[in-house]
Amino acid sequence: METPLVEFFKALRGAGVNVSTAEAIEATQAAQILGYSDRNQLKSGLGLVLAKSLEDKSRFDQCFDQFFQFSKLDNLSEHQSQQELDQQGASAEDDPPPSLTERLQQLFNLPGGSSGPGGSGQPSMTQPQSPLGQLLLEGDNNALALAMAEAGREARVNEIQWMTQKGLYGRRMMQAMGLGELEQEMWTAEASDDSTQQQLGNALRTARDRLRADVKGFVEQQFVLQAAATGKKLREETMMSVRIEHLREFKDVKNLVQKMAKKLIATHSRRKKVLNRGMLDMRNTLRQSVPTGGIPFDVYWKKKRKDRPRIMALCDVSGSVSQVSRFLLMFLFSLNEVLPKVRAFAFSSNLGEVTDAFNELSVDEAIDYALDTYGKGSTDYGQSLADFTDLCMNDIDNRTTVIILGDGRNNYGDDRAELLKQIHLRSKKVIWLNPEAPMRWGTGDSEMLKYKAYCSNVAECNSLRQLERFIDRLLTHQ
Amino acid sequence: MPNNPSIETIQQGFEAQGYICNDAIALSVFLAQQLEKPILVEGPPGVGKTELAKTTASFLDYSLIRLQCYEGLDESKALYEWKYSKQLLYTQILKDKLGDLLKGTHDLAESVGRLHEFGDIFYSEDFIEPRPLLKALNNPNGTVLLIDEIDKADHEFESFLLEMLSDFQISVPELGTIRAQKKPVVFLTSNNTRELSDALKRRCLHLYIPFPDIKLEQKIIQTRVPNVSENLRQQLVEFVHNLRELDLKKQPAISETIDWARSLMLLHADALNKELVTSTLNVLLKHEDDISQASNELNTLLKSSSK
Repeated sequence: METPLVEFFKALRGAGVNVSTAEAIEATQAAQILGYSDRNQLKSGLGLVLAKSLEDKSRFDQCFDQFFQFSKLDNLSEHQSQQELDQQGASAEDDPPPSLTERLQQLFNLPGGSSGPGGSGQPSMTQPQSPLGQLLLEGDNNALALAMAEAGREARVNEIQWMTQKGLYGRRMMQAMGLGELEQEMWTAEASDDSTQQQLGNALRTARDRLRADVKGFVEQQFVLQAAATGKKLREETMMSVRIEHLREFKDVKNLVQKMAKKLIATHSRRKKVLNRGMLDMRNTLRQSVPTGGIPFDVYWKKKRKDRPRIMALCDVSGSVSQVSRFLLMFLFSLNEVLPKVRAFAFSSNLGEVTDAFNELSVDEAIDYALDTYGKGSTDYGQSLADFTDLCMNDIDNRTTVIILGDGRNNYGDDRAELLKQIHLRSKKVIWLNPEAPMRWGTGDSEMLKYKAYCSNVAECNSLRQLERFIDRLLTHQ
Repeated sequence: MPNNPSIETIQQGFEAQGYICNDAIALSVFLAQQLEKPILVEGPPGVGKTELAKTTASFLDYSLIRLQCYEGLDESKALYEWKYSKQLLYTQILKDKLGDLLKGTHDLAESVGRLHEFGDIFYSEDFIEPRPLLKALNNPNGTVLLIDEIDKADHEFESFLLEMLSDFQISVPELGTIRAQKKPVVFLTSNNTRELSDALKRRCLHLYIPFPDIKLEQKIIQTRVPNVSENLRQQLVEFVHNLRELDLKKQPAISETIDWARSLMLLHADALNKELVTSTLNVLLKHEDDISQASNELNTLLKSSSK
């Protein structure tokens, strides 16, 4: 098995491209068929096998370019093709960073002055003895990259987990490449009186510093490719289970919500046909009986399509509950593909419809608008329910699911639970999501127990995972 | 045709057929043959997805079998159907024969036993009506199977295709499993009206054909409409490219560029001007809104393309 490819698959998965084992095997076959000599060909070949959507393609391209920056060299068997590949790689980038060799050659020529790269004229300094020193000052780009990749493997850089481990792995790599010997030689050379020796010492010191920078770059690249994957997964796990009000600490929550929404869409995008046994489909049965001379061999039954739920979401946008509302709305409107008919209402002291805002603005802006417009004042569930019944009692029918998100804390006001009863009678379902734990329902000013009587379903909901599970259920049992 | 053409041969062969393609497309055809995998082709309408399959067929000298997908497409239309009327007719004709056959039997069990000796005569290959998929599997000379607009078919059909796409075999309950005599080259095209299932995608190579760049499109026009003068060709291709930058409902595709080039040629034009473009814009754009939007921007569009 070809290790670089396997590592590349790992990096790809980290970048968010789902690579199955079967696809990995195919990619390896494709790579064998195409060979490694043509970078562009390899790239589009692997892209054909591994990236299965337009999004994946761009991720793949990015990942490929990152991954095969210079660790690509250890994949190669032929020197000539390596150089071709280098040139192509360099020409593909707009601003190629000067390679280590180039820099070393510059450095080599500067103090030497008269000594040309051809090596004619008197040698300006003694040749280094340590293997690493020889390697560095020889200026063999390929050999150096190869050595670096090997050292990387020896130091197991691909197991790097945290950003802070960069220094550790960098040092290990330098050791593996033979830094000890090099430094020994450098120090001796610098301490000596001979000018050629001193020159060598200087050259070695500069070369070592350059190498250190390059090794650092190598480790960083490995970190981005390898550790980002595991780190990201860990972070996502945390985000899923942490209480929603703490989620502000995380930057990429939105991406996660979108990812979860996408998963839900994929699962629920199939409109399931339910066989409605008992109703004969006369038309179809007659039509299908024509080849058998009008004898209905096959009998067809009428099918019924499951309807997508029509959702009205009432969200408390006051205080602490507003965070949860934000995510519920974000979810519902990300699920446009499977939930085309969502109407959103925001309330605290009074209630208003915000569906238009969501249709016109981006989800973030719409949520901010809802919070600004309705988020002021103390919560009044009675008034809000009254507003809701005034606004759209007539639009509620037996296909409508009403979701209410709130803590049920009414500031000791009139709860008007009878309005909720009316809503319950007209609608298909009333679901109440409460961010508070069930233990606290009914304590203090919480009217939850009264409202609970008129809900088809009551659930605690204060983490993304609970939210996801709730929506999943909503889509399954409509 | 060579059995395993290299990428260059494919590209040259395609060019000889009048299909100009970039490296990625040729590579995908090459890999599909090497790995024996179907190719899922996606891209905006009119970039030559269907054309690719046709060209491959004539390049490899295979016959092309096309299956157009639509909602409600099912097995009996895609795979096979029993010839009911033929079966009925034969039983009617053979009725008398049966009497002869069963002569000398004493009881029912014996008669049935004798009938069993003849096997499933009425459910044999003679009574099967092959539909595109079965035809593709049964052709010993090699076929290119084009499953067009798979996104329009139902989910059920998509799942039904899986066996066919991964193993090149299908199961007919009465006959058993039918394997491909020669594995067909399969193209699936999709306009992305809905997301295809992962299972299907996993079994295919995924090729995305974008709109071509200016150079490639010029070459395509040159091949397809060779009589257009070079000056006009440059102008019109650049004009179309500028047009694609606008926010249009439906962007003009290659096929539309070709049509436009043809119509300009019929009008004996050798350079673009405002009247000419206004009167022929409906060849390129298919929505009233798009046409009016483009008409408003016509001056700037023309200026930048006639440089």
